[in-house]
Amino acid sequence: MFKKRFSMILSVLVLVSMLISACTTATPTATKAAEPTAAPVAVEPTKPVAEPTTPPAEPTAVPAAPVTIEWWTVPSEDFSEEVQRAMVAEFEKTHPNIKVNMTLLPADGYDSKMTTVLGTGQGAPDVAFFWLAEWLPQALELEPYIAKDNFDTGMYYPALWRTYALFNGKVVAMPLSVGANFVMYNKDMFDAKGISYPAAEGVTAEEYVELTGKLADSTNMVWGSDRPRAPFRAIWFSFGAQPHSDDNMTVDGYLNSDAAVKAYQWAWDLVKTNGTPSTSDLETLSKTQATGPVELFLANRIAMSTLNQGHMLAAIKAGKNFGIMPEPYSKDKGPYVNAWSLSVGIYKGSKNPDAAWEFLKYWAGPEGQKFLMDNGTLFPSIPTVLATSQYKDNDAVKAFFKVLELPNVNEWRQTHKCNSTVVKAAADLWDMINLQKIERDGIEAQLDSMVPAAQTALDECRAKLITK
Amino acid sequence: MLRTWKAMSKRARTEALNGYLGILPWVLGFILFNLGPIIASVYFSFTDWDIINTPKFIGAGNYIKMFTRDPLFWKSLQVTLMYVALSLPMKLAAGLALSLLLNLKLKGMNFFRTVFYIPAVISGVAVSLIWMWLLQPDYGIVNSLLRLVGIEGPQWFWDPDSALFSVALMSVWSVGGSAIIYLAGLQNIPPHLYEAAKIDGANRWHSFWNITIPLITPTIFFQLVMEMIESFKVFTQAFVITQGGPLKATFFYMLHLYQQAFEEFNMGYASALALFLTICILIATIFVNQTSNRWVYYEAEVEERA
Repeated sequence: MFKKRFSMILSVLVLVSMLISACTTATPTATKAAEPTAAPVAVEPTKPVAEPTTPPAEPTAVPAAPVTIEWWTVPSEDFSEEVQRAMVAEFEKTHPNIKVNMTLLPADGYDSKMTTVLGTGQGAPDVAFFWLAEWLPQALELEPYIAKDNFDTGMYYPALWRTYALFNGKVVAMPLSVGANFVMYNKDMFDAKGISYPAAEGVTAEEYVELTGKLADSTNMVWGSDRPRAPFRAIWFSFGAQPHSDDNMTVDGYLNSDAAVKAYQWAWDLVKTNGTPSTSDLETLSKTQATGPVELFLANRIAMSTLNQGHMLAAIKAGKNFGIMPEPYSKDKGPYVNAWSLSVGIYKGSKNPDAAWEFLKYWAGPEGQKFLMDNGTLFPSIPTVLATSQYKDNDAVKAFFKVLELPNVNEWRQTHKCNSTVVKAAADLWDMINLQKIERDGIEAQLDSMVPAAQTALDECRAKLITK
Repeated sequence: MLRTWKAMSKRARTEALNGYLGILPWVLGFILFNLGPIIASVYFSFTDWDIINTPKFIGAGNYIKMFTRDPLFWKSLQVTLMYVALSLPMKLAAGLALSLLLNLKLKGMNFFRTVFYIPAVISGVAVSLIWMWLLQPDYGIVNSLLRLVGIEGPQWFWDPDSALFSVALMSVWSVGGSAIIYLAGLQNIPPHLYEAAKIDGANRWHSFWNITIPLITPTIFFQLVMEMIESFKVFTQAFVITQGGPLKATFFYMLHLYQQAFEEFNMGYASALALFLTICILIATIFVNQTSNRWVYYEAEVEERA
């Protein structure tokens, strides 16, 4: 009897321990350091819209005594560890009283590490990337520092500044770099099929589907194009679709609007051509061989692929014969771009905010971004610096600059923090289309059926993120 | 019956003290690293906490949400229960079958035992990536072999109808660890029982069913409990390969918990999910334990009754 009780107790203890240990060793979430999401841009030089607010603390002059600030960063294709260390050395030459202790975190662990230190208030860096909305309330308000130094915030792309520097109307970060999605097309593959190149302003959504079918050779696993990674990006906005209302209140009539139905039907048409690689193809390649659309594009396996500026440089270096155009669009609204930047800021609990500001100003300002552009492959968020790029005369890069002038969907997406929650609530339809598990005329009813769950998700997200 | 400390002899006391000292590191580790987090988790389950801001007490709010407003909770629970029902018999049977093979007296058996144990020590992520490649519908080796004999293989992980089965199938690959435990149980069976049965005219099936199975029921019981817990906790495969798809066919409970905790930063709600899962597993374990009276045979108990 004792044995049984003992074994019972042991079983329960083992059980509880295993459960807890499983919870405490969960894998950290992936980060977005180099991953495109969305972004803005409009080159007209306007001043930032930040309204002056009550300063939390008066900035003082940089202390005469040497101080050390902590800087957390990640390795990136745009700025390697070596380049970032060199940038720190350059900064320290002109700021002898400020020493920057650079900590390079693995990109995959950055989110969980930052979330933990900001939550506990222990061990947080002075300067870091603040790319999650949840972190921004912990970022130092920068207006007093900007005012003190008369720092020209109008030098940035205005849309990038509005999207990546402001939070609840206050300046809490600065935009570092600019990136965008666009379609790269392989001229050799067009030539091989005797098809003329697309116009610089791009092609309509219908033309894109038609081209995909013509360029594909499915028996040899050669694809005409790849599929959009997610709904409610540039093409959806070009159709006039957005996942919820501007006031973050309503899903019905937006997620299931006629425009949204048309955009999903366009995606359905694209998948139906059988001219695009399947989800299983791309996921297997990406996870087992770190291979994705860009490698397939470089290997002449995809004729048109939605890629970004890093991929563009890889193609230039590989000597590919290619062109760039915006993502396909509807005739009604024309092309949109999905362009982005990275928010960098100062932790509001920093013990050396003045020194941290000096470094932030350098890192995200013209000097630091130029250094990272000249020594790495970063494209700056400051047009005047971008204009000095070593690639500025390349035709593809010029086309990239033109794409940046299009209306940017990310300005809406970044300022409507719950949009991805709503899109996620409707993820099943995206799966169905990719798996060809739904008929074209069933899309509208499916969207209607997803509205209640999406509305619940929006309500909960709004209570958490927007009203706080 | 335990004797009281005072009634114990000096030698017995020393022995007991040594025993307590021996388990002290584990007890300390348990209190610091397990019991503390458990208590904290119970508290957080009654709060609204996004990790960054201070937890706000909301009473049973997370539990009300769980049962009334979170369709993904019910979906993930359903998928997980289906996975447990599907994978548990497969893993138990495969582990036992493999252990019977590894128990044969063949030349080089130690080599085979080592080889079959290797999957048990490989990282779950690596195993997932291997299987992702093997079961790739277009150019994976399994479907390529099937095509050689004129069969168009399924879409495996990328079809909602076959995804859950694929994950269950994959879990069988690493039964080498449980096979070793079965093997220990098999090798504890006294050979004279088989000899006696043989003399009485029993064939191999009779011996297996009437001697082997009853005598390894404690091992089967152990494996049942452990594999059941593991199945409830399934996570890595879905996290690495399917992200819960397609169409939530592999949206396991732990994946939902993970997403709530580390992607949505709803740590309070995630704690409530964790606590509910713990209770579910406790109930399932107690249930299995209760049924063990009827089918698990401990040699010592039989001797005591005799």
